[in-house]
Amino acid sequence: MVNLFKRIRKLKTILDIRVGTGAAILPSVANASKEFPAVTRLHLTYAQKIYGGHQGARHFWRNCLPRLKYYNPGIPMTVKQTTDQDIPATLSIYFADRVGSTATSIAGSKQITDKHAPAPGTGEKMATVNVKDLTYQEIWNRVQASTNASEVPASEEDVAEAKKFAAIDEKAIHDRERIRAKRQAKKDQERMLAEARGEVEKSQTA
Amino acid sequence: MSSLGVAMPTAARGILSSCRPSIRETSMTPAFSILQQARGMGSNPQKNKSKGKGKGKNAAAPKTSRRGPLEFRQKSLKDMEQYTLCDAMRYLRAMEVGRNPTVIKYEAHIRLRTRKDGPVIRNMIRFPHAVQTESRICVICPPDSKHAKDALAAGAILVGETDVFEAVKAGRIEFDRCLAHPDSVPALNKAGLGRILGPRGLMPSAKAGTVVEDVASRVEDLRGGTVYRERDAVIRLPIGQLGFSPEQLRDNLRTTIDQIKKDASGLNDRISKEIYEIVLSSSHGTGFSLNGEFKTDDSPETSALTGV
Repeated sequence: MVNLFKRIRKLKTILDIRVGTGAAILPSVANASKEFPAVTRLHLTYAQKIYGGHQGARHFWRNCLPRLKYYNPGIPMTVKQTTDQDIPATLSIYFADRVGSTATSIAGSKQITDKHAPAPGTGEKMATVNVKDLTYQEIWNRVQASTNASEVPASEEDVAEAKKFAAIDEKAIHDRERIRAKRQAKKDQERMLAEARGEVEKSQTA
Repeated sequence: MSSLGVAMPTAARGILSSCRPSIRETSMTPAFSILQQARGMGSNPQKNKSKGKGKGKNAAAPKTSRRGPLEFRQKSLKDMEQYTLCDAMRYLRAMEVGRNPTVIKYEAHIRLRTRKDGPVIRNMIRFPHAVQTESRICVICPPDSKHAKDALAAGAILVGETDVFEAVKAGRIEFDRCLAHPDSVPALNKAGLGRILGPRGLMPSAKAGTVVEDVASRVEDLRGGTVYRERDAVIRLPIGQLGFSPEQLRDNLRTTIDQIKKDASGLNDRISKEIYEIVLSSSHGTGFSLNGEFKTDDSPETSALTGV
């Protein structure tokens, strides 16, 4: 098994799941309003390659969805990666009962349909947002505006921990430089020695 | 160290006792008897002792240091954060978001305190909740023989000789395992499939145990159980699909621990193996050391940790 300290360090990456863009609680049945009903499901569809504006959607899956899933463990979230590069990248948000006016305006008047998205269940309404050519931050802003998700502020310990890791990363740059110089010096010396040895041999044979 | 040795089994017991009221109808009899593998057993410890005696205390000390400790060194776990099952599942499900819940597996890594030599635990387990999604098995044997009929009855999806060879040559490999009957081996070799099946690890061979007389029973074994073995003091095995509920995963984990304890006690009398740490991870997730509890007050509802 991997060295214990490496494992402990690796486990600290779960900090990234608690803190960052997308760390927010979506409205549930308990605190839903008329304008912002409870979110029951999320589905993201994008194409395999990033050209054609599918980059942001993939980054949204990589960066934001784990945090959303962590803070909303009960909401099913599915992702479909298609090989068809021409379809629009879409994010479907499923609401209970109705779609609020904000979500409707964000989804736009031109309705797009996502054939990979699961069909809404009884009483579910879905709003499909075209996320083509958007960065993940822009996608998240849209999701937050249309669902009124309440962001979870980072706790003090988390902030302190993040600072500590930032400091370690900072130090790593200098350390890398230092070690590189050391290795280079050793290599240079070895090369010089080898050259000198070669010359001695040459003079002996001549 | 010694205090930990006391702590860990109790933690492991915690997992078992915390879930006592749940139902478990299926009796868990291991499908295979324990296959022990003696790895350099017997000779090593004795050799060590006699040499140590002959050279006296001072000479023995550097000897052991060069050979290293006889046991796998297990660091103290006091710096390791430990999680309850539900909390670990919450993080792992966040890490695996958007992936196929039947393909992604929860994995258990069971670390043991054990010697570097001696027998290792090696066995097969059947879980109360099946982990493997139906594995597709191909059997190569004469299509109208009795073996073919039995294999089909046991659940093989593809049985035959020439038609299988042709399908493989055409690139249609629609199976995950491949078995062969000894009668068909000459035909198999003549067909020259080694280049296609070999790199995929599907080429039947007697050495891998995939050329067998009793094809049907082997098919059944392959469909049912998960094989595990101890490597460098760790037993790693998949114990659940991502879609499993915490209760299902707990049942599987408990069965695993039970059986490994049984395996450990069924080994040689002089060999003691005890569970030291249990780590839960998933196909792409990091490892979470479990503290033996099922959930804390902050954990989400178990229904929220099920499905996609």
